[in-house]
Amino acid sequence: MANILEIEGLSFRYPDSTRKAVVDFHLAVPEGEIVVLAGPSGCGKSTLLRAVNGLIPHMYSGEYSGDVRVGGASVKSSTMTDLAQRVGFLFQNPENQIFMFTVERDIAFGLENLGVPRPEIRSRVDEAMGLLGIGELALRAPYELSDGQKQRVALAGVLAMRPRLVILDEPTSLLDPKTAAELVGIVAKLRLDLGMTFLVVEHRLDLLVKLADRLVVMNEGKKVLEGTPREVLFGGEAEAYGVSVPAVTKVQKLLASDGLVREDELLSAQELAAAVRSAEA
Amino acid sequence: MMWLSGGFIFRRGTSVYHRLDPRVKLLISSLMFVTTLLVRSLYELAMVIAFMVAVAAVATVLRRVARTMALTFIFSTVIFVLNLIVTKNLETSALYAVRFVAIVVSTSLFFITTSPDELEQVMKTFRLPRDVVFAFVTAVRFIPVMMLDTLQIMDAQKSRGLELEKGNIIRRVRNMIPVLIPLVVNSVVRSGELAEAMESRAYGAVRRPTSLVEYKASWADKVVAFAAVAIFVLTAYSFYFVLPTTVL
Ligand SMILES: Nc1ncnc2c1ncn2[C@@H]1O[C@H](COP(=O)(O)OP(=O)(O)OP(=O)(O)O)[C@@H](O)[C@H]1O
Ligand SMILES: [Mg+2]
Repeated sequence: MANILEIEGLSFRYPDSTRKAVVDFHLAVPEGEIVVLAGPSGCGKSTLLRAVNGLIPHMYSGEYSGDVRVGGASVKSSTMTDLAQRVGFLFQNPENQIFMFTVERDIAFGLENLGVPRPEIRSRVDEAMGLLGIGELALRAPYELSDGQKQRVALAGVLAMRPRLVILDEPTSLLDPKTAAELVGIVAKLRLDLGMTFLVVEHRLDLLVKLADRLVVMNEGKKVLEGTPREVLFGGEAEAYGVSVPAVTKVQKLLASDGLVREDELLSAQELAAAVRSAEA
Repeated sequence: MMWLSGGFIFRRGTSVYHRLDPRVKLLISSLMFVTTLLVRSLYELAMVIAFMVAVAAVATVLRRVARTMALTFIFSTVIFVLNLIVTKNLETSALYAVRFVAIVVSTSLFFITTSPDELEQVMKTFRLPRDVVFAFVTAVRFIPVMMLDTLQIMDAQKSRGLELEKGNIIRRVRNMIPVLIPLVVNSVVRSGELAEAMESRAYGAVRRPTSLVEYKASWADKVVAFAAVAIFVLTAYSFYFVLPTTVL
């Protein structure tokens, strides 16, 4: 499949900084993949996302080199308006991306800005609310929503623009485990039903490893590891970069060292349970 | 602060008054406001206030308006005393004091029955620039968020030993600094994040953004607007030409 995102040798330095936040970064993401980006705090993950949706270089000036292409078109020479329709950006704090007084008007915000005719806005807002199951919240005010609901509203606002690529910056960091799992479920469904591509910065790998096609680890602005979650997590280097290996994987390693299960590369509780059962048999 | 929030913050309502076109509600409040300025006697002022109370009753916000009135009482007492010292005239001073209450009530009637969404609509019909309207929208949108922020910071600083309720007034104001600084930092961070989110959702893409909702004045709105103007004209006329003038 064609690459929806291509990052070629991207480097970026913020104007008031001495160090580059992203250094000679390469990444190609085929359409329909879910790619997870992990790495220690301050390693440049959010900076990279900004470069994908055009906030860098359109809103942040600075030293920029290399190229980022979304759907074949260079981000540098596209307008923010154009990019806003092709790349959806869900920011870490949902509170600060809800502008209007009611949920439905907020979801409509991007479309209103684009001058989309009213009937079309109506149908796209309803569609986005339907996708996220928040139809009954339509007339609520932001302060009447839980964190998980705010997150869905913010995502609905992004989806109403019908982007092909959605980037999520630590989407579960403010959510409780159950709500976080629900959000991950939504991502899975959107990929399956609509073929959307996702680039997700996430620390809670246990939730996403089963879903992700690829795991990329960053450190000090550079890409240090890339592969399937299995390859990266069992490569032995991931922990050195502060990537938390799922508990299942650790338990399995302990059991394997005691000879209780075979030394397989397991990522989920189901896989581990199956391994233990077959070892007993 | 509290009296302001009680008397001016919108809460959802289902009365016929709430459902009026926001521009009509603005018209009614403005006319009531102007009428209180035309008043020349306590007797006339009493009539105006009675009318406002009737409007409040229709809007089913009598209790909140009553509370607003009670809370403005402190301010009007100050106005009364100051006027009495300057003019030495009991009725004039009383007129000024009560007029202040009437002005607050006429204004608060608009704000407590008009949702922020409708306020935005009113601003748009005045053809204010998009940026101005949007700045207003976000300011109002973030009032509850900032209030919560403030409470959280206060709690956090108190648990670290900050004593907000102790000492004289200067001391208390100084004690607010550890609350204000994180609050300002938060707001700066917040505006940065808001700006990024706006850009990412095509803010400013076209000169004339469209809107999901459409406000249209119904014939009922027009009738009410016409009646309001008629009542205003009749009242003003009777103040000057029918009712006896006492003071001023
Ligand atoms: N607006 C900015 N101006 C200047 N420097 C910045 C700005 N934003 C980030 N930086 C710097 O760039 C580097 C990378 O930051 P970035 O926010 O991309 O990291 P991150 O991986 O997203 O971290 P975190 O996990 O904490 O969110 C850091 O050294 C940071 O201090
Ligand atoms: Mg970040």
